[in-house]
Amino acid sequence: MKTLFQHSLKAITVSVLLLAATSVTVRAQSARLQIDQLDSLANKASETVDVKLDEHLMQLTAKFFVSKDPDDAEIRDLIKGVKGIYVKSFTFEKEGEYSPAEIDSVMSQLRGGAWSKIIGVTSKKDGDNVEVYLNTAGDQINGLAVLSIEPKEFTVVNIVGPINLEKLVQLEGQFGVPYLNLPPPKPKVEKKNP
Amino acid sequence: MKLKLVIILIACVLLFGSSVPIGSASGDDFNAVVRAIEQFYHVKHQNIPLLARAGMKAAKTAARIRGGEYKRLAEAGSARVAFFEEQNFDSHGQIGSFKASMKNALAETWSPLVQTLAPKNEEQNYIFVRELGKNFSVLVITIERHEATVVEATVAPQILAQLMKDPNEMGKALTEDATIDP
Repeated sequence: MKTLFQHSLKAITVSVLLLAATSVTVRAQSARLQIDQLDSLANKASETVDVKLDEHLMQLTAKFFVSKDPDDAEIRDLIKGVKGIYVKSFTFEKEGEYSPAEIDSVMSQLRGGAWSKIIGVTSKKDGDNVEVYLNTAGDQINGLAVLSIEPKEFTVVNIVGPINLEKLVQLEGQFGVPYLNLPPPKPKVEKKNP
Repeated sequence: MKLKLVIILIACVLLFGSSVPIGSASGDDFNAVVRAIEQFYHVKHQNIPLLARAGMKAAKTAARIRGGEYKRLAEAGSARVAFFEEQNFDSHGQIGSFKASMKNALAETWSPLVQTLAPKNEEQNYIFVRELGKNFSVLVITIERHEATVVEATVAPQILAQLMKDPNEMGKALTEDATIDP
């Protein structure tokens, strides 16, 4: 009887752990945007860049930044917990070669749900528009998305995992993340005790 | 006994000689990609004298990369190269179809890492990665209007990690070393 109880307890524990793990995965997955439908823009674009660093590759990569080199340590910290970096960028020869409807498949995923816009920069002069979205669950950041919408260029960057704006800026130019001309993160204000 | 030895030798020559064109056993993904390029663009990879040069370059590549900026990027003898020189790569606006046919040619074990397309100039770059025991295989396909290169190199995971910092450079490092004479 005791053995049966122990077995049941074990089975329940394993099930709960599996459920918890699945829930974490599902949450992380929800921060992964479906961006493959943008591939149709490649037919019109003069240049297309597509970078996919999936969870498996990121984990493998992170494992090998182990030296005491400060650069390695910085990168290790940067990509810690990152489950994927996905970038698609399309450059067009002329303005108006892509329409808002063609990027709506991505925009619609960012409306509501766990996504919230944290930065929106619009340049009336150049027509450039940069938007940064965070996917959160409580205090936990599950992912980040950056859309750079310009008259002749459209870029989407999707990073899955615990990433903040500071880390994103540090990632620019690395791991396929392009330079996004993001406004510098606000310096942290330390609260003074009265 | 001597006759047996001669037969074995001939068999070996026939077996390995038949794979000389791109320096490896047939039926693998490297060959499949080369064939996909040939079929789609109606081009041919280089003939034997030029391929001998390619083989030498591949060996040099491995050696140079090992001692150069990207130390031990490729293990000696692990780099394989196929050239297409002075030929016409015109997709007739169907680069997307070529991309699909190449994807079909590769086993699912390959993960696409980077793809860049510039259809107007017929420029395409693809980098695929897959695990190979303790190491990784990196497949770099570069196509321009009049030439193309397919490079497959074995890299240690530590090096792959370093190269992942700048995936575009990974392709350039491998391809330039494989195609530019030192």
